[in-house]
Amino acid sequence: MTTSHPARLLIVDDETQIRRLLRVALEAENYEVHEAASGQLGLSEAAGVHPDGVVLDLGLPDLDGKEVLRRLREWSQVPVLVLTVRDGEEDKIAALDAGADDYLTKPFSRRELLARLRAVLRRTQPSTEETIVRFSDVEIDFAARVVRRAGAEVKLTAKEYDLLRYLAQHRGRVVTHQQILRELWGANAEDSTHYLRVYMTHLRQKLEPEPRAPKFLQTESGVGYRLVEA
Amino acid sequence: MSTARPALDAPVAPPSSWKEYVFSAVVVAIITVAGLLLPESYYLSVGLIYLLAVIMLCLRVGRGPVLMAGILSAFVWEYIFIPPHFSFAINSLQDGLLFGTYFVVSLVAGQLTAQIRAQAQDERRREQHATALLHLTRALAEAKTLDDAVFAALRQADDLFDAQTSLALADETRRTLIPHFASSYSLNEKECTTVDWVFRSQHTAGQFTSNLPDSTSYHLPLVRDNETIGVLGVKVPPDRALTPAQQNLLEAFARQLALSVEREHLRAASEREKLLAESEKLHRSLFDSVSHELRTPLAVINASADSLAGADPTLSGQLINELRTAVRRLNRLVGNLLNQSRLESGTLKPRLDWCDAGDIVNAAVESTCDALAGHPLAIAVPEDMPPVRADFALTEHVLANLLLNAAIHTPLATPVFLTAGIEPGGQRMFFNVADRGPGFSPAVRGRLFKKFIQDDAASAAGLGLGLSIVRGFTVAQGGEVVAGENPGGGAMITVYLPHPPPKAAART
Repeated sequence: MTTSHPARLLIVDDETQIRRLLRVALEAENYEVHEAASGQLGLSEAAGVHPDGVVLDLGLPDLDGKEVLRRLREWSQVPVLVLTVRDGEEDKIAALDAGADDYLTKPFSRRELLARLRAVLRRTQPSTEETIVRFSDVEIDFAARVVRRAGAEVKLTAKEYDLLRYLAQHRGRVVTHQQILRELWGANAEDSTHYLRVYMTHLRQKLEPEPRAPKFLQTESGVGYRLVEA
Repeated sequence: MSTARPALDAPVAPPSSWKEYVFSAVVVAIITVAGLLLPESYYLSVGLIYLLAVIMLCLRVGRGPVLMAGILSAFVWEYIFIPPHFSFAINSLQDGLLFGTYFVVSLVAGQLTAQIRAQAQDERRREQHATALLHLTRALAEAKTLDDAVFAALRQADDLFDAQTSLALADETRRTLIPHFASSYSLNEKECTTVDWVFRSQHTAGQFTSNLPDSTSYHLPLVRDNETIGVLGVKVPPDRALTPAQQNLLEAFARQLALSVEREHLRAASEREKLLAESEKLHRSLFDSVSHELRTPLAVINASADSLAGADPTLSGQLINELRTAVRRLNRLVGNLLNQSRLESGTLKPRLDWCDAGDIVNAAVESTCDALAGHPLAIAVPEDMPPVRADFALTEHVLANLLLNAAIHTPLATPVFLTAGIEPGGQRMFFNVADRGPGFSPAVRGRLFKKFIQDDAASAAGLGLGLSIVRGFTVAQGGEVVAGENPGGGAMITVYLPHPPPKAAART
């Protein structure tokens, strides 16, 4: 999508109050907002207005949110941010597996909403091909496979670098343990989360200002990790 | 079912009783006396009347009396009526032919009619069997419960075989037999042995069989899919026996009953399953709707407060902070209510995975930072602590509840300590939350982990669900919670979780 026109968003939620609230918050950020009050309406609206992003509530009265997601994914790769009231990680993981880009648990803050939305919208924008990603005082140079912290090169093992690169490519968005394990260790390693913890600890020790209370390489309870910029 | 039907024809071909012989002889005698009243020249007619009588007798009496009547009448006729009278002599060839033909005709007629009669009897018996089974099937189909069905079936068997019946059904484990209350006689010790043998061997046994024949009743197994589901016993009066036909009928009876019992078992099982699924579904939908209903307004309040803060930073920031704190507190309360209901419904299934203990501690501290604001918090997680096997979210809830408890039940500025580590020996890992508050009163300590229990001395914050959830979530993960005194004053609660070696749990 070109950035010349405001990004078009579709909100699918049965709660009028939530829709109104999201509209106010998002229009203030210059998004163009469309609404749908049910799963069916959401699907037809998505086909009609071709949104640049979808905010989808999982608890819809007519169709299960995951079902809406599944049907949407049959023909569209539009970024989807899922809203959920459920604490259960299973639901979040299931939604992510069904093709959601990220999730937000109600109640959420406006800041969180906007940050998540920006991150999921970035997936379809051409600027994802950048070669340098920065967060905190860390700089990752994909082309040179070099990581610098405060200007000085940080020595990373091949796996540590792969993990960091994968998180950086998806920065701002949650990546599940399974996604990381599949990407870095292959399809057969999906239950060796043990190693993942160890590599993550190493990465934090090398890159975080305070490894014990990580600010950038964040843990998502029971779901996965998220690299947060700034 | 209770319409009075004659007991099923006891013997199939009853041996002719002496009464039938007497009856036949009397008939012959009457005809003879009547014949004597006729003129002498009517002797041919008398012969035909004899023949008629013999054929009529075939319809009433058995083969033996008919034969006797045929032979008797032939000789009486020859002796009295065929000239010369009162002599066995025969004068003419014609009389000789007459006598011979009569003799043969009466014998053949007797034989033929006897056969027809036997066939008719056979037919009637088959029909009776079919009717009996039909009645049974109908009674079983009409029965509302298994007990009704068994009761109907046994009473019918009682009627049908003019006997007493008993039934023992296997329990759910299919190991032991339980006598059914509808039985019309109770099994003595010896019978029980026979019944047990039948149950194990799936063969008929008892009276009239070659297996354990000294029993006083006849026992058949109820078999479905090679499994014995019960034993049917029949006790006939001592002067009677069960004919092979009756035994066949009984077998059919047992098959029918077994079918009915099995159907009932299957129905009960599917009913149970349905009920369970239904209650799980109900719980799930209640859970979802409660969480939806309660959290949606919270989301609105929170986001509005955010917008308010964003729009006008000078506008009573204090109030907005209060608003946020209230929201977080409400949200935690809802979370705990829902967690408690998850625990009680038994639908809680921990997802154990390798977690960084520090991560869990951070998440718990972050979610409670507002409540902990006035308390200095000292966290100690060893630098080299290996990943631990736990359900991240459940453990986070456990720690958050413990931290909140410490914050709520101690005066402001009381320090709180959170420690994690591996027990010496490496079998278990622990999280320890301690404070320098008043500690637990002895009265409350024993009931600490019950729902809605609060230490009266403390302020009435929260619903008293916290520790009950702490215990529930910990036990669900295979761990335990211990409450005690903090050395040097204050309360201390330690959560232990199993710490398996990573090689065993994570396949490499």
